[in-house]
Amino acid sequence: MTNEGVQKTLAELSRDLQESKARLEEAQHVAHVGHWEWDLETDVVVWSDETYRIFGLSPQERPMNLATVRAMVHPEDREPLYRGVDEDLLAGVRPDAEFRIVRPNGEVRTVHSVTPKRWSSMPGDAKRDASGRPYKLFGTVQDITDRKRAEEALKQSQFYLSEGQRLAHMGSWAFNAAGFDYWSSELFHIHGLDPTGKPPTVEGYLNLVHPEDRDSMQHEIQKMFAEHRGFDFTKRIVRPDGKTRYVRCVGVPVTELTFKGFVGTGIDVTEHELLTQELRRERAYLTEAQSLTHTGSWACNLLTRQIFHSSDENARLYGFDSSHGAIPFDSFYNTILVEDEVALRAKLENAIRAGADYDVEFRIRRADGAIRFLRGIGHHNPIQEIGEYVGITVDITERKRAEEEREKLRQLEADLAHVNRVNMMGELAAALAHEIRQPIAASITSANACLRWLARDPPDLERARAAASRIEQDGNRAAEVINHLRSFYKKGTPPERGIVDLKDIIREMTALLRKQAVRHSIKIHSELHENMPNVLADRVQLQQVFMNLMLNAIEAMKDTGGKLTISSRPTPEGQLIVSISDTGAGLPAESPERIFDAFHTTKPQGTGMGLAITRSIVEAHGGQVWATANQGTGATFHFTLQGEAEAHG
Amino acid sequence: MKPAAVPTVFIIDDDRGMRQAIEDLLESVGLRAESFASGEEFLSRRHTSGPSCLVLDVRLPQMSGLDFQRRLAESGMQVPIIFITAHGDVPMSVRALKSGAVEFLTKPFRDQDLLDAIQQALQHARAAQEEQAEIHTLQERHHALTPREQQVMVLVVSGMLNKQIASEIGTSEATVKIHRGNVMHKMQAGSVVDLVRMADKLKLSPSK
Repeated sequence: MTNEGVQKTLAELSRDLQESKARLEEAQHVAHVGHWEWDLETDVVVWSDETYRIFGLSPQERPMNLATVRAMVHPEDREPLYRGVDEDLLAGVRPDAEFRIVRPNGEVRTVHSVTPKRWSSMPGDAKRDASGRPYKLFGTVQDITDRKRAEEALKQSQFYLSEGQRLAHMGSWAFNAAGFDYWSSELFHIHGLDPTGKPPTVEGYLNLVHPEDRDSMQHEIQKMFAEHRGFDFTKRIVRPDGKTRYVRCVGVPVTELTFKGFVGTGIDVTEHELLTQELRRERAYLTEAQSLTHTGSWACNLLTRQIFHSSDENARLYGFDSSHGAIPFDSFYNTILVEDEVALRAKLENAIRAGADYDVEFRIRRADGAIRFLRGIGHHNPIQEIGEYVGITVDITERKRAEEEREKLRQLEADLAHVNRVNMMGELAAALAHEIRQPIAASITSANACLRWLARDPPDLERARAAASRIEQDGNRAAEVINHLRSFYKKGTPPERGIVDLKDIIREMTALLRKQAVRHSIKIHSELHENMPNVLADRVQLQQVFMNLMLNAIEAMKDTGGKLTISSRPTPEGQLIVSISDTGAGLPAESPERIFDAFHTTKPQGTGMGLAITRSIVEAHGGQVWATANQGTGATFHFTLQGEAEAHG
Repeated sequence: MKPAAVPTVFIIDDDRGMRQAIEDLLESVGLRAESFASGEEFLSRRHTSGPSCLVLDVRLPQMSGLDFQRRLAESGMQVPIIFITAHGDVPMSVRALKSGAVEFLTKPFRDQDLLDAIQQALQHARAAQEEQAEIHTLQERHHALTPREQQVMVLVVSGMLNKQIASEIGTSEATVKIHRGNVMHKMQAGSVVDLVRMADKLKLSPSK
């Protein structure tokens, strides 16, 4: 080789070296890897350009030594790093360290430094002195800050994920043709298995499934693979400790050009499932209770006519079947009978306006034509929007019918009372007729005898006088019978007097006779004085007085209708005047004073005893009874009673 | 024949005034009257045996007039009854009349109606009493016959000839003739027809 050749070769070599050095620098720059050399004897540290850059310095900015390098290591990492290096060097192992550095601008970076292990045979390896101690070290340094951060972030997100899975009782899994290839640790927990173990085989997995769900589960897995379709089902599993849990499994197929398998989640929905079952049960109980009591529940806005809730029973009460979907407000509303709708609407509008609760009764006509009585109770919560109500609907048809039955019964009782009264009068009249007929017959016979004694020749005056005297006796006897009747209430019934509130009696009698009055278009109306004293009287007899006078009034108006007025006023003498007035035919034109006489009647089926008895009772109570003709039409019957204080005094 | 006794009208009514009035009325037309407050009182007192009738109030304490009527009929006492009542009705009067009452009067009644009814009733009573008296006389005569004569009388009124009677009782025709003559005499019968009428009243029959 010529010198020139050598020169040339050297130049070429130098150029090559320069080129490879440049390429090395370039490679280091791209890979963020620098190298360093540390002469242990001279304490000179040589860095590559990239090493300078990693440390936040300009390439070859200043010479470095151990102290300057050490100063740039993060204070927290400094001690362990160098101690570790020393120990490793002594032990003859390659120091391999990760540590943080602080750039001059304060930025912290994480670097990874490797000092190659096999340095004795490699150029640049640390040289050892006679004792075997290296006097030169060579190594690389790599900025791994970004990778570190990514790793941290990944770790963090994995932590969040697993924590999230743990909190949500949700595990994840992957499944391919060979079986499960991944179970998240939470999925193990859910199944009561050790998270460090392997995912179970399909067979092992099916063994975990509750025996009752196993067949359907197997079927589902077969279908999954056959159809490659997503799925979502809930089944029971039995943990090794024997506890049953509900697990909801959601999976989606993974397809990358071809079908790869499934990924999905397993969620422990036991609490949710039990709650759902509980809710379902409670709902069933509620539905049952509603159906038993014919009570439906609902929530709606009456103004916007929106229904938020309507129980099945609620729909059923209106004759609808809610199993085919929600029934609109108007369908409910249109069943209401026209006769009831106006009043109902007014009530609801008032309630809405006032924001008040309501309680209404109305009738509906169901699609099958049946008329039902419903009661609706609505509650408005002030925090809700105007018109919003929750409430119940109750079918009260049976109750209403029972009430009507009761009313009919009461009417019957009233009719019966009337019939009884008439019958009693009839009996009394018959008994009386016999009692009176006896002395009258005797006196007629005696009169006949008397005439015959006088007709004799000569007349037998003695016998005639005796007969005449018997006539007188029998005549008196007849009069006594009448007197006895008049005093019937004085002697005949033992006094059962107590303090009586006339208002009570008037109320009772009005209630008892109301139906009868309504039937003849008669209004009963009372104008009672506020401070009406109580009276000391026989309650039953007073009832009879009211009944007689009120029945008479009704009788007088039964063909024309009219108004029956009961009024009362106290007199200065402490008496009470009660007046019962009608707008009927009025008093008879002929001998109106005779109306109180026994057997005097103007009615075809009357006994003529009503007013006579009334008079007896009132007089027995120390009062008087009389009648007056009204200014317009009709008559008024008045009677007086002693006020309680007066009666005591 | 005995002469008829003085007719008596018995009055049963719980009303004293009524009782007295009727008694007085009857006396004013010359009838005898006796009055009682109840059926029991009437039965417990002996009364005259002449022709009589009963004026009976329907409504009586204890035993009603209709019950009393039935009881009299059961005891064989035949007395015509006139009912009076203060509250009669049609079914009651029908029942009374069916049971043999002469009349049913409602109080107060016309005096003449009562007196007419009483006359009618006494007529009945008188006829019944005469009939009773005649039967009584015939019974006495019949009693006076010998057993053989009673036997022959039954056979005679049954229409048998002497010869047949003789063979029936196993004797001669001549003996039968003697018995027959005795029967006609003792019974004071003018003819066989007369005897047949008597046997009828005595309710005699061949089987006896």
